[in-house]
Amino acid sequence: MFNKPVDLAGAAAFVALMAALPLVFPSNYLIGVLTVSVMYGIWAVTWDFMSGLTGRENFGHALFIGVGAYTAGFMNTTFGFNGWWSLPASMVMAVLFALLIGLPTLRLKGPYFALAMLSGSVIMQRLMLIFWESTGGEEGLNGLTPLIRSQVGFYYFALAVLVAITLLLMALARSHFGLILRAIRGDEATCQAAGINVTFYKIASLVISAAFAGAGGAMYAHYQLQVSPQLFAVVTSITIITMVYVGGMASIYGPVGGAILLVLLTELLRNFGEWRLMIYSCALILILFFLPGGLVAPTWRRLRAAWLRRAA
Amino acid sequence: MLEILIVGAVSSAIYAMLAVGFTLIFGVARVLNLAHGSFYALGAYGAYVLTSQLKLPLLPAALISIALVVVFGIVVERVFIRPMRKSQLAVLMITLAVALVVEQALFLTFGSEYRNVPAFIDAKFTIGGVNIAGARLLALGVGAVVIGALWLFIQHTRYGSAILAISQDPEAAQYMGIPSDRIFSVVMGISAALAAAAGILAGPFLTVQPTMWLLPIVKAFAIVVVGGLGSIPGSILAALMLGYAETIVGYTISTSWTEIVSVLATLLMLMFRPAGIFGRRAAF
Repeated sequence: MFNKPVDLAGAAAFVALMAALPLVFPSNYLIGVLTVSVMYGIWAVTWDFMSGLTGRENFGHALFIGVGAYTAGFMNTTFGFNGWWSLPASMVMAVLFALLIGLPTLRLKGPYFALAMLSGSVIMQRLMLIFWESTGGEEGLNGLTPLIRSQVGFYYFALAVLVAITLLLMALARSHFGLILRAIRGDEATCQAAGINVTFYKIASLVISAAFAGAGGAMYAHYQLQVSPQLFAVVTSITIITMVYVGGMASIYGPVGGAILLVLLTELLRNFGEWRLMIYSCALILILFFLPGGLVAPTWRRLRAAWLRRAA
Repeated sequence: MLEILIVGAVSSAIYAMLAVGFTLIFGVARVLNLAHGSFYALGAYGAYVLTSQLKLPLLPAALISIALVVVFGIVVERVFIRPMRKSQLAVLMITLAVALVVEQALFLTFGSEYRNVPAFIDAKFTIGGVNIAGARLLALGVGAVVIGALWLFIQHTRYGSAILAISQDPEAAQYMGIPSDRIFSVVMGISAALAAAAGILAGPFLTVQPTMWLLPIVKAFAIVVVGGLGSIPGSILAALMLGYAETIVGYTISTSWTEIVSVLATLLMLMFRPAGIFGRRAAF
């Protein structure tokens, strides 16, 4: 996975920086922002694994996040399970939803999958409001127990999960499995002609992506101590897609950087209040036009090339 | 029973106006326009601003609002969609971003509270013992007339033939000298006008607020999948089916379950007959 020492050094420097920040600036506010950025990192990297590699854009990643979070909410508050059960349960539920939408749509070409995911998340958000007697409606479910009481402790746990998921997905992306996913993005018909069961690989990658996104949703629920229908919102999905675009599609590590960068920038934009989403959407349009390759991954590639040239 | 018949027809008419434009753009340009719902929202908001703040009478306000949305639609096509047409997914992304910008612009100017679009007819009519608001009947009537007119336009004019030619075979159409870019703009204008008109007609009895673009997109997608992507008769038939299915579910089970109908229909259709009811075109 780390072809050159410089790759390992870059990754280590990044993790060390993320781990050191709360020690250098021990403020609860900063730790909170960093925790949220790490959560978005998990969602962005899982989005990129499926959509970036296969080229099938998922416009409803929020569906998996919301399903994971609500699973955690019901398990924890309604049925009184210990918080740690939420993680496997939410992964299973997210996988079920991934199969429900993936099986009929991913065997087709065309935009069916993208739109079905969008519809799925919109309808789930409506259902959470309509069946408010059991879902708590606009208020959602409250009173979840935290996974780890100490805020710094939870931050380090989330960071460890992010690093583990990113390493796992990068290893998968560079394996034979990942090669096939990239080949599908390149030319699906040729893959099929080469005897590859294209549908199986697309659905498998969606299932992997959904499972980790659902776990991220459950962690988020146990961090916020509540879940709300807003988790299913289209804005959540778009935010994640924007992060991946900023990070650089199909690079896996780029979206992590994109997510952390954008969450921190968003905090700086806090004063703009309700203009925030407007700025986000306009930024997305500008990126689509002027930086289709993203920002984080290309920058890293340039730095890396410069370093290797100097070393050689 | 009669109530179901009439109310179902009204929602079918609104759905048909939305879905026909959506499918028309797809047929001509192979583009799914996620900003389509924004045209619907902007039509309703345009009518609201022109009547309540500029105090215009409703009919000119409605026409001006539709005209403005048409201009907006053509601008969106020229500036955002055309440079992205190489990749279908880039188009989905850019139109979704445009839809969000519109939603945020509406939110920042008007806030999130519900706005009132006045109805053309305030009276209630009684048909066979069923009370129906005039606005709903008008939506039904205008919807039927507009879609009929569109059908005649496509079948009997040169522009219509060009639209049909491009949707059957874009390359051959280009070899015949049909200016496909100009036709695309025309179609974008038509579809924006239909969506805006649907927004104005539905405004009095549906909620007018910044996120109103979302559900219509979901419904239009369901209709277009059931009817077959790019098929106009298919989407009219599917609009009728969805409109009636939702109304029947609403009356016999509970209005809570109506939202599930469209998603269920989409998934079942994609599972068993992805080409749509008419199956005119294979799932490309």
